[in-house]
Amino acid sequence: MYLILAQSAKTTWWQSLFSGMSPASFFNFSFLPKYLSFFWQGLVYTLLLSVLSVLVAVIPALLLALGRLSKSKAIKGITGGYIAVFRSTPLLVQLYIIYFGLFGLIKIPSHTILGFIDISRFIPGICALALNSSAYVAEIFRAGILAVDAGQTEAARSLGLSGWQAMKLVVLPQAIKNVLPALANEVVTMVKESSICMTLGMMELMWGAKTVAGTTYITIAPYVLVAIIYFAINFPASKAIEAVERRMRRGDRKV
Amino acid sequence: MTEKSDVLISVRHIVKEFPDSGTVALNDCSLDISKGEVVAIIGPSGSGKSTLLRSLNMLETPTSGKIIFEGTDLADKSVDINRHRQKMGMVFQHFNLFPHKTVLENITLAPVNLKLKTKAEAEKTAVALLERVGLADKKDEYPAMLSGGQKQRIAIVRALAMEPDVMLFDEPTSALDPEMVGEVLDVMKNLAKAGMTMVVVTHEMGFAKEVADRVVFMADGKILEENTPSELYEHPQDPRLKDFLSKVLI
Repeated sequence: MYLILAQSAKTTWWQSLFSGMSPASFFNFSFLPKYLSFFWQGLVYTLLLSVLSVLVAVIPALLLALGRLSKSKAIKGITGGYIAVFRSTPLLVQLYIIYFGLFGLIKIPSHTILGFIDISRFIPGICALALNSSAYVAEIFRAGILAVDAGQTEAARSLGLSGWQAMKLVVLPQAIKNVLPALANEVVTMVKESSICMTLGMMELMWGAKTVAGTTYITIAPYVLVAIIYFAINFPASKAIEAVERRMRRGDRKV
Repeated sequence: MTEKSDVLISVRHIVKEFPDSGTVALNDCSLDISKGEVVAIIGPSGSGKSTLLRSLNMLETPTSGKIIFEGTDLADKSVDINRHRQKMGMVFQHFNLFPHKTVLENITLAPVNLKLKTKAEAEKTAVALLERVGLADKKDEYPAMLSGGQKQRIAIVRALAMEPDVMLFDEPTSALDPEMVGEVLDVMKNLAKAGMTMVVVTHEMGFAKEVADRVVFMADGKILEENTPSELYEHPQDPRLKDFLSKVLI
């Protein structure tokens, strides 16, 4: 006690702004040996959340995109409304409404997979992220479909194929190939966005950092560590996607 | 060349308006196309010739008027247009081959998916047709590997594989490099010789003169003159046609 007082007496006003902090405290990873499993499991949880939610989102997104392109005003309106709501409200709010609202009604039994993933939280988490993601992926698909030359549809229809056959056999295969990079980008976004699932006690990366920080009183370094982990996943991933996109553009030739 | 026998397509007072731009692309056009006849449609750009051709298989829906094909009015909304389109092959200016399919798949896609032929039958037909246009060796290539002339010949084969009663050509050589125009026109000439009914929107005056039984001149959405090629080119009546012919090379 005496020592601390003596120290504070020596500090100037500006030093007190940084009280308790030093550059070293950003990288004080002394908790790692003991708490490594929090980050390891958190990483697995985060990756599962983000990859699965985008995969789950693909089919609803495709239906939403086709709905947006439909001739029927009613279908256009409903799908447009869904997309508008999910794109214009915070993901955190959606997560809470889906978790406490929808999954307040549907009870999922508490069951643990892989030793640390409680499906009574995991499944609502996937649902919320997927419902949100489907609104964004729908717009990706819509743009992808519109980017396929109208002549492709005309050629298919002129052969006697129905509108749906033309879509399924000719337009969609080309559209999906074109949107794969954007879809991969959506996974990158989800890796980051899924961190809000921490607030509902899903044991993903951010939750691991917060728990370690709370337990060890090492407040900064755990967050720095997860920032490094997020970056180490997303940055190479985005670079790889960019490279694939460049290659695809080169491969594109007018047919 | 051919006798004007039974009418295959009868266009009756077709009007096409584009409400967004307020333009009238077709203004009361009527035209009869007989079985086995080759009709060339010429005219300045923006004259409505492509719109008229695309109305024949309802790629453009006319605002009013009738398109009677094999006894059915295609402009009637209750008609199953897909069934009638199977009998009307179409070839486009920009080929519109399916880039994600091989040449063979491009040709067999429609007959197989419409359950008109088994895969084996469709492939046999496709190879036979490819041989006719000299491209049998390209059957496993993707369209991106082909030249423009090859693409267009394959587009013609793709339409022929449906065994259509009429072939519609929308400026089939306009997007080609000059040295490739000949190979496509040769395929079309052979098709005409074989007795196929053809409607060809074209800028190739030589082709129209040599192959067509009848040439139709359009301007401002109207059919202004139609006649045999020799009459139309040598004794044009309409001043717009005279003006047009004086500007194009024949």
